[in-house]
Amino acid sequence: MDIRYSKDTITFSEKHLTRLDMFVLGFIRVLEPCTPYVIVSGYVAILFGRSRGTEDVDILVPRLEKEAFGDLHATLSAQGYEFLNAEGADGLYDMLMNRMGIRIARTDQFIPNIELKFLKDDVDQRVFADRVGVNLSDATVYISPIEIQIAYKLYLGSEKDIEDALYLFEIFKNDLDQQNLKAWMKKFGVRGDEYGIGI
Amino acid sequence: MELAFDKQANRKERLAFVRAYAAWVKRTPDAEWSRQQAELIDSFFENARNMPLTSREYIERVAGRGRSKKTSRR
Repeated sequence: MDIRYSKDTITFSEKHLTRLDMFVLGFIRVLEPCTPYVIVSGYVAILFGRSRGTEDVDILVPRLEKEAFGDLHATLSAQGYEFLNAEGADGLYDMLMNRMGIRIARTDQFIPNIELKFLKDDVDQRVFADRVGVNLSDATVYISPIEIQIAYKLYLGSEKDIEDALYLFEIFKNDLDQQNLKAWMKKFGVRGDEYGIGI
Repeated sequence: MELAFDKQANRKERLAFVRAYAAWVKRTPDAEWSRQQAELIDSFFENARNMPLTSREYIERVAGRGRSKKTSRR
C-alpha cells in the first residue's frame, strides 16, 4: 500500500476504483455544492482495502434548513437519484430532524445506497470538525478520523465491526495518534487488547 | 460447551485472517490489492442487481436490521 498519511489528508498512489467508490464519488459531486459532509462507518474500512461488500454508505451532514434540504432533494432527483423512503421532501426532512437516516440510491436501484443523517451529538460534531480528506483519483472524499472510527467500531461490537476496527488499526497503526485513539476508546468505554488492538 | 468453543475458535481465526490480509495489503502496491478488491466488490453489486425486492421491501428489511443492531450494542 503506497499511501501518504498526515493528520488531515491521506493520499493513494494508484487505487483501482470499485463500483462502490464510483457511486460514492458520483453522489458527493452532487452533494458537496449543497453542503459539506463526512463519511463514517463501514465504507471507511472498505476504502482502504477491507475485503467485504456493503449495501450502504453512511454520510453525515450538518443540520440543513428546510429550504436548503428541499433544494438538495430537488437537485438529487434531477441528477438521477431516488429516495428509497416512501416520504416526500417534507417527510424526509422530518425524519432527519428526528435523528433518523434517509436512504438515497440511483434511480431504480437500491444497492448501493447512501444513508444520510444530520450530525446529532458531540461525537458527530467532532468527527465532522476533524474530518480527513482522502485524495482518490481526481477527487477528494472526506472521512471520519481513523482513531474515532476504530473506537466507534469497537463500541458497536458486532463481529463485522470488530473486524473493521482491527483492519483499520493494522493498516494505520504506525501513523495513528495513539493518545487520541486511547482517549476515544475511553470515551466509548471500550478496550481493544483482546482483539490485538494494543495501545 | 463445545458450541461456545467453536464460536471462539472461529472468531480467533477470523481475526487472524484480518491481520494477515491487512499485512498483505500493506506490502502490495495499490494498483494490485485494489484490483483484486474491485473484483470482489463489483461482483457483490452485480449479484445485488438480481435481488427480487422493491425499495419498500428493502427499507422494511434494513429498518428491522437497525432495530436488532441497537439492541445488540454494548
